[in-house]
Amino acid sequence: MALSSPALPRQHAGRLVQGLRFARGRHWTLRIGAVVFAAVLVTLLLTPWIAPYDPAAQDLNNRLASFSSAHWLGTDQLGRDLLSRLMYGGRFSVSIAAVTLLASAVIGTLIGAVSARRGGLLDEILMRTVDLLIAVPDVIVALLLIAVFGTGYGTLIAALTAVGWTPFARLMRGLTLEINAKGYIEAAETLGCSKSFIIFRHVVPNALRPMLAVGFLRFGHKLITVGGLSFLGLGVQPPDSDWGAMLLDAQPYMERMPMLVVLPGAAIFLTALSVTMIGQGADSARPRRRTGSSQKTAPPTTRGTTS
Amino acid sequence: MVRFALRRLLVLVVALFTVSVVTFLVPYASGGDPVRTILRSRVAGQALDPSAVEALRHDLGLDQPLILQYLDWLGRALHGDFGLSFTSRTPVDQLLGSALGVSFTLTAVALGAAFVAALPLGTLAALRPGKRADTAVTFLTQSFVAVPEYWLAPILVLVFSQHLGWLPSAGWRTPQYLVLPALTLALRPLAYFTQVTRAAMVDVLKAPYITAARARGLSQPQTLLRHALRNGLLPVMTLFSLWFAGLLGGSVVVEVIFAVPGMGQLVYRAVVNHDIPIIQAGILSIVALAVLVTTVTDVLYALINPAVRLHDGSV
Repeated sequence: MALSSPALPRQHAGRLVQGLRFARGRHWTLRIGAVVFAAVLVTLLLTPWIAPYDPAAQDLNNRLASFSSAHWLGTDQLGRDLLSRLMYGGRFSVSIAAVTLLASAVIGTLIGAVSARRGGLLDEILMRTVDLLIAVPDVIVALLLIAVFGTGYGTLIAALTAVGWTPFARLMRGLTLEINAKGYIEAAETLGCSKSFIIFRHVVPNALRPMLAVGFLRFGHKLITVGGLSFLGLGVQPPDSDWGAMLLDAQPYMERMPMLVVLPGAAIFLTALSVTMIGQGADSARPRRRTGSSQKTAPPTTRGTTS
Repeated sequence: MVRFALRRLLVLVVALFTVSVVTFLVPYASGGDPVRTILRSRVAGQALDPSAVEALRHDLGLDQPLILQYLDWLGRALHGDFGLSFTSRTPVDQLLGSALGVSFTLTAVALGAAFVAALPLGTLAALRPGKRADTAVTFLTQSFVAVPEYWLAPILVLVFSQHLGWLPSAGWRTPQYLVLPALTLALRPLAYFTQVTRAAMVDVLKAPYITAARARGLSQPQTLLRHALRNGLLPVMTLFSLWFAGLLGGSVVVEVIFAVPGMGQLVYRAVVNHDIPIIQAGILSIVALAVLVTTVTDVLYALINPAVRLHDGSV
């Protein structure tokens, strides 16, 4: 022990330099994404206090108005303040996406971990289910559930979770297998460390970063899907309105007031872009794992059809 | 290899069976009585005659045990007979056939374009990782992934149909009608294809045979085309087929916006109109296609690359 200690500071310094290199390289996407996403979140959290108008307050004498000092982003077809509507709409979009994401992540992580630990037939069944579910368009699953249960927040969240857990399960299974095979797990087991100690000291920290990366990447995808269903009139229902529903409402007025279409879409785009940048930044900052089987299909994050 | 293929086949059969049960149960699960739903669609707004309800229930075999009804339904479904659409009274298989053709064309054009554009972009990024071109391509693909179709599509229509008048805004008649929907649809797969091409090419370009090719004096294009791309293409092809399966039925938003009479639009309209035979047939065929394509891709991939079936823990 005493002999190896002088070497430690140098090791740490090396790691620090490595970290800085990452920050200078592709890591920039993570920082920009984090700043934009934080700004969006803070705005949405503070909306009830900072929104200039009631999002439902109509001013029929002032319909489809352009930018002005009274209405920074103009008004919509009913004279409602566009900025306020964007802020309140974003609360629906982002929170629904976040809830489905969280549900998907929790379910997927559990299934992935169980699959890896139990192995055998259960593992085979679960992973084949993942393989097949990943290929099924999530919009179709959503349409099926809506056909059966009707529209509503419950259906919306259930529909997006029903197939949304698969990437998390696949990744968590791989990570668990990989981490369990590591020498330090064996060492910890030999030393008599408790199971929970191993899980929280070794497995969780090592799995956290890739899981978070996928989580952020999926967030953007969820956001777009939720908006898409609302755009089809099957997601968030009036009088509530998210960014997708705002785009739908704006269609007839597109020519007169392009901003009614451009701005809600831009809000989805910017938010989705910021989380994608965070996700890919975190993803590329992680040391590359062995290729081979990971090349079999593209990384789980590259799947997703919302169109 | 045969064992591997047989196992996948078994999985495929189990999956198709599950999907067929789920779709069969749609009318029962949706709370309403299918007989009343059918009658209501025939005599809109009138009170239903109870004896007519029972007569139709018997005619349709809906008074039989559920398992017999399922087998009967499945038997007819396997012959392509899904009954008549509630709303248009046309045979569902006809509607399905023409919609599938339309979606196939749209998907093929969009993904073909994405593929052709992604190869040079991904290769360009992979040639000098971390340098300016790579950064630009990375940022571009990240942006493409984040673009909602229902935002891009109206903007494209506004610019190209309404202001410039170059292209039709909606419909499905001449090849011009393909351009805007295909463009909208191609954006996200283009981003993913590029990312995967880049990742594959970064790996391949490090291989000794690339150094050897360069040492033999092969020019850059020769090295890339003959050695690098050929090996780097495999992951992209896999992704391509997965996207193909996904977009055949999954391009609902784009088909609705551009009034493309494809699968996505068909199922969407059916859900809105509670046209149950179309919902059943549409979802069954979309999922069956997706599952089928995935399985075939898996088996083909294992055939080409033995490492998958030997080392992949999930086999």
